[in-house]
Amino acid sequence: MRRVRTGALAIALAGAGVIAPAADYAHLPGGEFTSVLPQGATPGTTAVARVAPFELRATPVTRTEFRAFLALHPEWRRGRAPAVFADAAYLVDGPAADDGPDVADGRPVTEVSWFAAQAFCDSEGGRLPTWLEWEFAAAADETRADARGDPAWRQRILSWYAQPATAAPRDVGGPPDVHGVRDLHGLVWEWVDDFNALFVAGDSRNQGDPDTLRFCGAGAISMADRDNYAVLMRVALLSSLSAPDTLRTLGFRCVRPATGEPR
Amino acid sequence: MELQPLRGALQRTRAFLGLAAIAFMAAPSFAANGPGGAGDFGPPRGEPIHAVLTSPPLVPPPIHRNYPAHVIVELEVVEKTMQISEGVNYTFWTFGGTVPGSFIRVRQGDTVEFHLKNDPANKMAHNIDLHGVTGPGGGAASSFTAPGHESKFTFKALNEGIYVYHCATAPVGMHIANGMYGLILVEPPQGMPKVDHEYYVMQGDFYTGGKYREKGDQPFDMEKAIDERPTYVLFNGAEGALTGDKALKAKVGETVRLFVGNGGPNLVSSFHVIGAIFDEVRFEGGTNVQKNVQTTLIPAGGAAIAKFRTRVPGSYVMVDHSIFRAFNKGALAILKVEGQPDKAIYSGKELDSVYLGDRSRPNLEAVTRATESARQGTLSLQDQVKAGEALFTGTCSVCHQANGAGIPGVFPPLAKSDFLASDLQRTIGIPLRGLTGKVTVNGTPYDSVMPPMSQLNDDEVANILTFVLNSWGNPGGQVSADDVKKSRAQGTPPAAPAAH
Amino acid sequence: MTSLTRRDALGLFACAALAGAARAAVPVPGDSVYQLHLRLVDQDGHPFDWGSTRGAPVLASMFYTSCEMVCPLIFESIRRTVDAFDKPVRDKVRVVMVSFDPQRDTVPVLKETAARHHCDARWSLVRGTEADARRIAALLGIQYRRLASGEFNHSSVISLLDAEGRIVRRTTLVGDVDPALVAAAKSV
Repeated sequence: MRRVRTGALAIALAGAGVIAPAADYAHLPGGEFTSVLPQGATPGTTAVARVAPFELRATPVTRTEFRAFLALHPEWRRGRAPAVFADAAYLVDGPAADDGPDVADGRPVTEVSWFAAQAFCDSEGGRLPTWLEWEFAAAADETRADARGDPAWRQRILSWYAQPATAAPRDVGGPPDVHGVRDLHGLVWEWVDDFNALFVAGDSRNQGDPDTLRFCGAGAISMADRDNYAVLMRVALLSSLSAPDTLRTLGFRCVRPATGEPR
Repeated sequence: MELQPLRGALQRTRAFLGLAAIAFMAAPSFAANGPGGAGDFGPPRGEPIHAVLTSPPLVPPPIHRNYPAHVIVELEVVEKTMQISEGVNYTFWTFGGTVPGSFIRVRQGDTVEFHLKNDPANKMAHNIDLHGVTGPGGGAASSFTAPGHESKFTFKALNEGIYVYHCATAPVGMHIANGMYGLILVEPPQGMPKVDHEYYVMQGDFYTGGKYREKGDQPFDMEKAIDERPTYVLFNGAEGALTGDKALKAKVGETVRLFVGNGGPNLVSSFHVIGAIFDEVRFEGGTNVQKNVQTTLIPAGGAAIAKFRTRVPGSYVMVDHSIFRAFNKGALAILKVEGQPDKAIYSGKELDSVYLGDRSRPNLEAVTRATESARQGTLSLQDQVKAGEALFTGTCSVCHQANGAGIPGVFPPLAKSDFLASDLQRTIGIPLRGLTGKVTVNGTPYDSVMPPMSQLNDDEVANILTFVLNSWGNPGGQVSADDVKKSRAQGTPPAAPAAH
Repeated sequence: MTSLTRRDALGLFACAALAGAARAAVPVPGDSVYQLHLRLVDQDGHPFDWGSTRGAPVLASMFYTSCEMVCPLIFESIRRTVDAFDKPVRDKVRVVMVSFDPQRDTVPVLKETAARHHCDARWSLVRGTEADARRIAALLGIQYRRLASGEFNHSSVISLLDAEGRIVRRTTLVGDVDPALVAAAKSV
């Protein structure tokens, strides 16, 4: 019901020429994929998962784009979004809806909560990517769909982790990977739809020792590939968050289904 | 949203502790111990205390308290770039802004309320595992904290000792390799014996993409870490952290207690202080004491307490005695002891006399100098003459005498020798190939055998000949090693027959 | 076990409705989970608005019917907790159980589950879309993921909400009554 209302408003505003131009989405073919998180039917076992084709925003959502969203959705502005949806640091460094419209800011929007990110993606007819979709996309480099076995791929990503977060992120628009997607690595952490499915136990050394009362069904996740530090770090960070949390280094991008209805 | 993840577990633990406390009270030996007795494990008393934490190498002051208290510890995680070596930057992840992290000191039986804060400017989530905590993950399960957040959990310090703490967030090895470790001391209820100095030293191995001392910003190298091939092995997180004006200090006759930890992530330490013997080592940080120890093993993720009394002044170098780590990877720290020397214990160098060895040569310094000069291309006539003189003695002087006079009728003279002066090439060949048969030198005939001096190399021959040519009225001149080399290559037969 | 009769329930709901009408004039506080507006369906097939329980204290959690291990324990814990409440709280409290698994937890399945656990009229077992489930889990701080077998791997958290929908207490204690939860309910 919410979506229909937004859609109607969007059509009206599009007519008025207010809406920002459509974002650039890249097409990802999907396919079989071995995730770092075990996907087997029996808990803890690895199995190849099947990722349906999907479309992914080519870059993280920028501050300019988020500002346009705030103009249309004042309920998501800083100070208006309720505490249960966004913590006290939400958008503390902007963008604000009342920044001049001609001030282009290509930096990725950060300090956004999961709820805010969902609302944005909702407003353009999409949603946040699932972890599997994100991991699938992030496995690529400039020439290959799955570069995860390459130590150079891992080392490049680890180098980003080595830099402290004090520097503000640069503008989006790094080199494209084989699918045409940019900035999945080296810019910001990104929300995923099922971030609260990534529950490594708070103490992530309990591999293979499931506390089954605490995590019904399988115990906490054991990593299938513990050497892949680059991906482990993402999982560790996302699993430490709650939905209203915001981080200076955490942004997001959206997906749309390649065909048919949203999941 | 406040999480209460382990409430049930904590309740059960509390019930157990209550029973344990009763058990302790029943044990007669325990009831007799110290002023607190069984009450040391009872509920905390008095006002809550905010623990004083210190940055390495300093240690918080000893605890003077005879009752268990509620102690509040606040520790902050800061990710920051610092120098790991001169001109080499590395992004460390730290507890309290230092590597190792802040030193925590509590008393056995204290109830510790632990706050872990993750600076909002950090990129990573972190937690903490304290080896002194009895409970799931040593606290790690209850302290997983995102940037900009704070976690709190409470534990009772059941065991006394010196314990490592470290971050246990996946990937654990990387968090530790980036410097996330430190020490927590749980003092026994009766306290520790007084010493003059307490210091905090912690070894760690570090893995960078570049080589040892390669300048610039260096990233963490995961492959090297997995292969256990460290680039640096350091005390307190940086080369020179404890040397020069940052060396530890003490005076002669003082007692020093070192809390020495090993954060790893991989290597075991063979901890040794050059020139000192540990009077007492609480090896592995446990309760038992070993005495008169030269080198003690500190496991990765472990610690020890070493105590000794300083007796003579000097710089005492602390090393990991897997010695290439000390001299090629940086595992070096210094304790500088000042005060009056005590010759009865250590006299310093008493005698520097010449040891002739089997070449029976006096001072070979001139030879060394000439060799160096030759290598640098700055060899002078003076150098050669001096070196030649040193070499002549003991090799040539045995027959030709120290003054070159020879022995009449037996060995020809070298002094003012017409034979040597008339054919330089022939002269060069003599030490190389020897000389046999009849020669006339300065009008006197000689018929003897001089063996080839095959133990001499080209430089030595050149220097000896240069010396001879410039001594005792000989005409002078200079023979180079190249000249000798050419002569050697020609391999002409002994020149004697043609000369006579 | 104290159960509500249908008559008691109707009476209570009438009071709640009146109170609700008064409350509707006052906006929901910023830290209330009722900021989220979702249209769900309960075990009787009736529409259930997330936020319709405003005005009463609520015990909320998530489950799925095929769960063998912990979910039955969650039901049991909540039942025992309700029994442990003081009468004034017990009379007002509602229980909302949201399914992770709307695909399999259809309305008839929810009805059957409610019967199996002897849920009285306080209890609402509800389902929405999968996106709805993900949002509610995010609000309540519950983690879950679906495995390839169709089973769910999930954390077990019971939240006590006050009349305005603010989370006042959470417990992960399952199979037993958490005294802290009972104590917190006194002041709700």
